[in-house]
This record gives sequence, C-alpha cells and structure tokens, in this order.
Amino acid sequence: MNGTASSIAAQTRIGPPQEPVRNRAPWRLALVLAFAALAGGILLTGVSVWFLGAVALAGLTPAALTFNFHVPAALIRLFALTRTAAKYGERVVGHRAALTDQVRRRSTLFAAMASAPSVRKAGWQLGNQDRLADYLDDVEDVDYARLRVSLPSATLGVAILLLVAATLLITPLAVVPILLLITANIVGACFLASRADADLAAMREGRQQASRLLGAAIQAVVPLQGERRWGLMLEAPFDGYANAQTRALVLRHRQALFDTLANCLAPCAMLSVLASAWLSGLRGEALLVPALLAFAWLAVGESVLGASKIVVAFAREKKARSTLAKWNTPDGVSRKHVPERISSLTLDRLPRHAPDGRLIGRPVSVTFRAGRPTVLHGPSGCGKTSLLKQIAGWLDVGDGCVLSDGIGCGVDARRAMSCFCPHDATVLADTVRENLFAPHASDDELWSALSTVELQDRIRAAGGLDGWITQDVLSLGEAQRLNLARAWLSNRPVVLLDEPTEHLDTEQGKRILDALLHRLRQRIVILSSHDELTPRGTAAVRLQ
Amino acid sequence: MLETVLNRRGKRPTGATPPEANAGAPAPGKTLCIARGLAAAGLHSALALQASRAMLRLAFIGLAAMFVGRMISGNASWLLLGAALVSLILGSVVGLVADRAVANTELEVANGLLGSVRRALAAALPGDIQVMPLGTLIAGLQRYPQAVAGLAVGHRLASTMLGLGPLLAATVIVAVSWEAALALVVLTPVMIVFFALIGGAIRSGADAQEKAFGRLAAQFADRIRTLPTILGNHGLNRERRKLAVRLDTYASGTMGVLRIAFLNAGIIDFFSSLSIAMLAVFLGLGHLKLISVPGFADLQLWQSLFILMIAPEYFAPFRRYAEQYHAKAEGLAAATALDTLVLAAHPQSPAFEATIVTRDLAGAASLLPRTGLVAITGPSGSGKSTLLRHLAGIGSAPSFEADFDTHPGIAWCSTDIYVPEGPLDAAIAWQNGPCCRTRLLLAAGNVGLLDDVLLPGGLDALIQAGGENLSGGQRVRIGLARALISGRAIFADEPTAKLDPGNAAMVRRALADAACSRLVLVATHDRSLAMLAGTTIDLGADNRQAREKVA
Repeated sequence: MNGTASSIAAQTRIGPPQEPVRNRAPWRLALVLAFAALAGGILLTGVSVWFLGAVALAGLTPAALTFNFHVPAALIRLFALTRTAAKYGERVVGHRAALTDQVRRRSTLFAAMASAPSVRKAGWQLGNQDRLADYLDDVEDVDYARLRVSLPSATLGVAILLLVAATLLITPLAVVPILLLITANIVGACFLASRADADLAAMREGRQQASRLLGAAIQAVVPLQGERRWGLMLEAPFDGYANAQTRALVLRHRQALFDTLANCLAPCAMLSVLASAWLSGLRGEALLVPALLAFAWLAVGESVLGASKIVVAFAREKKARSTLAKWNTPDGVSRKHVPERISSLTLDRLPRHAPDGRLIGRPVSVTFRAGRPTVLHGPSGCGKTSLLKQIAGWLDVGDGCVLSDGIGCGVDARRAMSCFCPHDATVLADTVRENLFAPHASDDELWSALSTVELQDRIRAAGGLDGWITQDVLSLGEAQRLNLARAWLSNRPVVLLDEPTEHLDTEQGKRILDALLHRLRQRIVILSSHDELTPRGTAAVRLQ
Repeated sequence: MLETVLNRRGKRPTGATPPEANAGAPAPGKTLCIARGLAAAGLHSALALQASRAMLRLAFIGLAAMFVGRMISGNASWLLLGAALVSLILGSVVGLVADRAVANTELEVANGLLGSVRRALAAALPGDIQVMPLGTLIAGLQRYPQAVAGLAVGHRLASTMLGLGPLLAATVIVAVSWEAALALVVLTPVMIVFFALIGGAIRSGADAQEKAFGRLAAQFADRIRTLPTILGNHGLNRERRKLAVRLDTYASGTMGVLRIAFLNAGIIDFFSSLSIAMLAVFLGLGHLKLISVPGFADLQLWQSLFILMIAPEYFAPFRRYAEQYHAKAEGLAAATALDTLVLAAHPQSPAFEATIVTRDLAGAASLLPRTGLVAITGPSGSGKSTLLRHLAGIGSAPSFEADFDTHPGIAWCSTDIYVPEGPLDAAIAWQNGPCCRTRLLLAAGNVGLLDDVLLPGGLDALIQAGGENLSGGQRVRIGLARALISGRAIFADEPTAKLDPGNAAMVRRALADAACSRLVLVATHDRSLAMLAGTTIDLGADNRQAREKVA
C-alpha cells in the first residue's frame, strides 16, 4: 500500500535571518502626513493669533474698513482642515505601513525561528504560555517601533528644529533659554532611556524568576499541602511579582519626571519669545510675528505630551531586538535527496548525549531493519527520547555513526528521511486536514488514518476534515491519537515514535499501535516506551 | 484568555480609538469589584490633583493670552507674565505629583489584586489548582493585575475628567463671554451624535472582522508554539506559506476596522480645529466691527485671545479619554481572565471518592499507630492516593492550623515533590534546617542517590530549575532522603513505582527502617512493600461496592 508513496520533498535551505526589505513608500507618505498635521496645527494656532492681533490693531484705526480679512480667514479654515485630514491620514497610513511590515517581519521571523537549534532540543520553551507571551511582547515591541518611536520623534524633532531656527531669526535672545531647556530634555531622555533599559530587564528577570518558583510550587501542590508548606511557598513568587511591580513604579516615577520636564519646554519657549520680543523694543504691529511664533511653540507642546512613552518604547524596542536576536542562530539545512525506502539503519558505536550535551551510558551499536519495529526500553531518564532525537538528526551527534543501508548519513539526511513524533506533540489551531500534515493524501486516506486511531467519530462531530480544531478542544489522549494519525500518513522511510501510547488506556493503545505498525510494516520503525510494552513481532532494546 | 488580550493588542496597536466602542460592558466581575474597592482611597486625591492641574493649565493659558493681548495693545504687564510663569511651574509640579499619585494608586491596586490571587491560591484545593492552566495562569499573573489597575484607576480618572474638564474650561470662558462658552457647549451634543454613529459602525465592523477572521487572530503565536511538531512532520514550508497568507488577510481585515475607528479621534480633532477656526474668524470680524454678535464683538484683544486659546482645552479631555480606550479593552479582558482563572468561586471538587473513603474508613486516621509501617493497597483507581491525601489533611483547609498542633508534621514523598534548583545536598536539606554533611551523605546513600549513573556527582550533582533533569524515581528518592532527615512521619505515594528493582529494594528497606521510630504510611501497589507493613488498609472489593452504592 505504501509502494505508491510520492517522492519526498526535501527541506529547502533557510538562509540566515535578514531584516525584510522595508516598504518605504507608505512610511514616507505617513511621515509627510505627520508633518502636514503638525504644521497645520502650528499654523492654525499661530495664524489665528496673528490674525486676531492684526484686526484688533486695525480695528482701532480707519484701516479697519479696508482690511482684507478674507485671505487670513480662508487660510485659517484651510489649516484647520489640513490638520484634521492629515492627522487621520497619518494614523491610517502609519498603521497600514506598520501592519504590512508586521506581516513581512513575522513571516521571516517564523522561518528564522524554525532554523534555531533550540527548537529541536529538549523542551521547546515557547511551548509554555508564559514564555510565549514574553516572546510575543518582544515581537510586538519591534513591530510597532516605527509607529511609536521613529515617526513621532522624527516629526517632533524637525518641528522643534524649524521653530528654533525661526526663533533665531525673529527673537534671537529667546534662543538661549530654549536651547538650555532642549539640552536639559535631551539629557533627561538619555537618562530615562538608560534607566528604562535596566528597569525593564530587571522587571522581566524578576517576573520570570517568580514564575519559575510559582510553576514549581504549583506542580508540587499536593506534597506541599501535605507538609503544610503551601502557603509559605507562595510567599517567594508573589513577593517577586510585587518587587517587579515596584520596579515598574520606579520607572513610572522617572517617566513622570521626564514628562514634567518635556511639558515645560513649549510653554517656557513661548514665554521667552514674548519676553525677548518686548525687551528688544518691538511694539505694536511688530509684535504680531513674535506672537505667532510664541503660539506656534505652544501648539508644538501638544505633540510633546507623552514624550516619555516614546523614550520607553525606544528602550523596549532595543531590548526586544537583542532578546529576539538570541533565537536567530540558524543551522543551515541543505537540500538532500532522500531515498523512498531504506531497508536497514545501523547505529555504530553511537555515543549517547543528553540534550545538555552530557554523555549518557555507553555508546550503542544496533541495527534496525525495515519490517521489524524496535522498542527502546529503559527507566525514565535513561535517554530514550534523546536517542530518538539523535537518530532523527535533532541532536548533534558524531557523524558517521549512523548508517542507512550501510552508508553514513549526516544530520540533514537523517532529518529528511525521518518522521519524528514527539510525545508532547501539539495541535495546531487549524483544520483537521492541515493538522494531519499530509497535503497530498486523499480524503479517504485521511479518514482511514483517523479511524485507525479511533478518532473518526470525534472528528466528524467537530466538523469533519475541514473543521477547525485547537489544542484546548482535544484532550491529551485525543491529541496523542491525532499525532499517531500523522505517523500513519507519513511517507518517510524512518518513523520514530516517542512514547506512542502515553495518555491512552492500555487496550486502546495496544489496538492502535498494532494497526499502526501493520501500516508501517515496510518502514523502519523505532518506538520508545517506559513500560514494558512489546507489541507482536517487535524487537526490544534495553537502554541502561 | 491571554490570547484575547494579545489579540486585542494586535488589533489596536495604539490608542486613540473610540470612547463608545465598548459601551455595552457586562456587569463587573469579582476582580473588577476588588480593584475598584482598592482604588477608591487613592482615586479621590488623584482626582483632586488632576483637577487642580487642569485649572492651573487653564490659568497659565489664560494669563499668557492676557499678557500677549495687553502687550500687542501696548502695555506689557510683567505681573501677568510672572503670574503665568508661576502657574506654569505650579501646574508642572502638581502634574508631577498627580502622575505619581496615579502610578502609586495603580501599584496599590495591582498589589492588592496579587494579594487576593495569592489568598485564593493558598486556600484552593489541590484538585482545583491542578486543573488551572499553568502557563496561562503564570503569564496572566505577570500582566493582568496591572491591566486591571489601569482600568480601575487611569481609565476611571480619565472618564471623570471627561465630565469635569470641559466644564472647567467652559466656566473659565464664561468669565469673558458667556455667549462663546454657550457656543462650545452647544457643539458638544453634535459631537456626541457623531461619536454614537461611529461607535456603532466600529462595533459592527469589529464583529464582522471577528466573525470572518477571528480564527486567524493568533496564528503567529500558535505556529511558534507548535514549531517542533511542524518540524517533526516536515510541514515547515507549507506552514510558512500559509502563515504569510493568513497574516496578510488578517492585517487587511484589521485595517478595515481601524479606518473606521480612527474616525473617532478624527472627530475630536475636527471639532477642536473647527472651534479655533470659527472663533478666530468671528472674533476677528467683531474687532473689525463687521458683525455685532453680542459676546463676540466689542471685546479687548486679550479677551478674544483668551477665548481662542481656552477653547481647545474644552476638547482636550475628550482626546485623553479616547486615548484610554486601549487601557479599557485590555483591563476588561484581564479582569475577566482573572475571574475565570482564579478568583471565581470554583465548584468544590473534593474528589468524590474522598467522601466515600471518609465514610467507610472514618476511623482509619485515629487508628494510625505512632510508629510502624502502614500500607494502603488496592487496585488502581480505588482511591489509595485520595485516602493518603485525606489522612494528611489535604483539602481540609479550614482546620489547617488546628491540625498542625495535633500533627507533629509530616514529610511527603512522591514523584511530584518540590525540588529546588541547585546541588543535590541542598535539595535534600531543603526545609530541614541546618544539617551536617554526614547525615546528608547517610540519607542519600540509603536511597541510592550517591552512585546513580544518571545523576553523577554525588551530593554535588546539579539539579536544574524545576528538576528538569530528574526522573520520577530520582525525585521520589530525593523526597525520601529529605523525609528520613526530617524525623517526621512519612507519607509516601507509590514510592517504588518508578524505580528499577535494585533501587526499589533499597527504598523498601529505608522505609521499613524508618518505621521503627515513626509512622510511615504508604499508598502502594507494590506487594513486596505491602508485605513489610504492620497494618494494611485494603481498598479492594468493599470500597468499590460502597462507591457503586453512592453513585
């Protein structure tokens, strides 16, 4: 039945992770709109004030009758509309650009993560909800950095520069206090950024530490309650959480201090411009332009609100980038031709390694043959799973110790020729069909796989092959059976089953395993089991 | 639940969305009630501070407008400038204090919530704790309390200021021209009609988006979580292509909702810009004596500037409230999550066998000898572990303290004991007070931990966080070594089940030796161990009958 198995697609090379090409055009548009919005706001306030001053002075003289108010009034309306429309446009375009970037970044990141060696080592950390949540926080901090940091700070920086230049032209005296304030703000921002770095790192560290303690305590809840230590054991993790909160409070206090400083910039600049205009002897109409400038400063002040958030977002992005970079140490996988069938797989004095690199026991020498499934026995901790992973090419091992049909094969070849079913296999949030990982199989084949693992009724109730399932929908036993259905459908010459009957009751486990081994009878099948499970027609290897 | 928060965050990356979008909030759950209770004390002072900051800001703007007006008219009043500067400085200081007060109150609320969670956990039965989704709980404890605090404090303040702020601004303008103030107040209902219309559109848009793409919301997170499975089944390339398409689809759907949602912020911007533009033109015409609307004509320059500059402040609280939308959505989701995770009253689930066991073997506890080996035997599923837990007093939370006095304390020994990270000797000495190395060596040797090939290094063998590098059998033996040193009565759940024959024999001997000087109670299906017991509680046939009777 397996003779017609389609040829096996080999893994393609995954290059080193690279920052996806930025889509610059939308960002440029967002930047232009942001400038337009800020300029509209500044001019709206400034020109309105100038206009009122001008008409008030004109109103005292006969010039009132000839004053052309149409142009300034039209300008003011124009600025009002520009400000509103450009602000809306900035939000929409900016978010669209950020989302487009996000889609590209996440696709690339996913591929890069897949090539990180730690995925194949013991215990996938990001399988834990709490680690995953931290990871997603980091990804998001980088995703929105442009929107939260680059865009507002660029706009603000340019606006301030322009206003400083205008001030230098109109009321040079006022530049002195303004520059002093700007310097103070820059120093404040640098200080905040550096402290935020340390605070954020300490917060994350503290929370993770507390979470580890809490996780360990919860897993030991029965013994701890029996020994009356449960309440006491909760103290340390919750103190840890509280300490992290206190650290967050310190950061918020610093943010508040910096915000106070930043919020003073615009009003002080305004007062300086006014005072220096008056002091330099300008009177009457000559004061109108400085008044315009002064209120323009005030309008910029609106955008400075929340300056500390920009600084903290910047610090978060920096930290997130460095954390994410730790994952991206790819091991290149090259294209390999995989034979459809292998008749024997030999381990030749294979040194056994634990996931942490430690040597376990003595090297093993054994030959697995197609049609003769082999069970690995041994007490828990003796390295059954590690040996399976070594065979699957998931753990590094001295090359040349694994021979397929007498030819030594490297990590890449072993990965390509084996289907590895880990005992903690997960359920993807997707359709049943996608969860079976057999895109070329017919519906009939999929259904017979499901009926072999006694899931057909369950899946029919859940909406058939195109029904949507998630991890929470299936029980542990059902997830394990789905996992066995994947093995049933696999077309790889070597099938590795880690604790295939875990979470299944004895009778059912035996039935399913027998059917599965019958289906895979022409393949090399290696399974591990901590109990003395030995189906008919299998060989057994005891690991020490 | 965490997914909900993450989705929401993904959906609305920055604030500035609708005040009304989430108006139909459900009745507050327990978490929210606790948070509100905790926030009450700090809220008043924070509110007072924020109100005074708003007033000082109005004072600064008003005084600055007056100064400019007078200056252009020819008489600069340094007194006004000084007053403006003073109100600026005072406003900044009060603002700083207000921000700190908000942060402090939020911390109190978050810590209070953590405290309630801790109390709830401390009082919970082991069964209830074991069914909690551990990862979600831990991820939630790191994030939810702050989110709920943000809702109970920050959002609450913003919504209060939404009522107070415009009122203050209008009052200040009344001092110059009540007609102008009236114009602003009349504009507000128009704005609110717009809000209501857009709020409805956002809700229906978000619902449609949820219906169409809800399943694609957390695909990236899901694929990262399931990476090893994908690799094991050679599904990487396919998943990669699928992920790119799905992320793209979801992003465009999200953009559709955002486009409408941003209209809300747009309306606030529009009205605030419009008010400036209209007032400037009206007041200008008044100065030119081209119109004679009362309240807009015959004003001094400082008066019209005053109106012009205060008017945007009327709209500022609306904007600040809209920015809090994010905090609201996140806070509500977090509160619901905490409710369902921990704080909700669980249906009491004291394993139903326990009640039967108790009824049938009510006297068992009092019959336990002071010393000797007692074995609880029976087929699997007959309630051995349950009885052991019951005899240890687990689950009878109310009598915790009283129990402690009568019981000199017990040492528990099973595969799920707590093992701290670090060297083996520390794991054995854990909670046993200071003990000399000889005793540690003796205890470890008695259970075969010193020459275990899978845990090399003797007493200095390193144990990883969470005991990841330990097998079940090694954990049991660490527990037993710890129990031997403690001198307490030993309660052991299947102590020999995960051991190879040699180690099992060693453990049996150690248990039998310990039973000479204290009570050793084991739940076991190991016949050789049961043979050593002086007393045996058999949960065989009669108990099954009892269970059937109750069922």
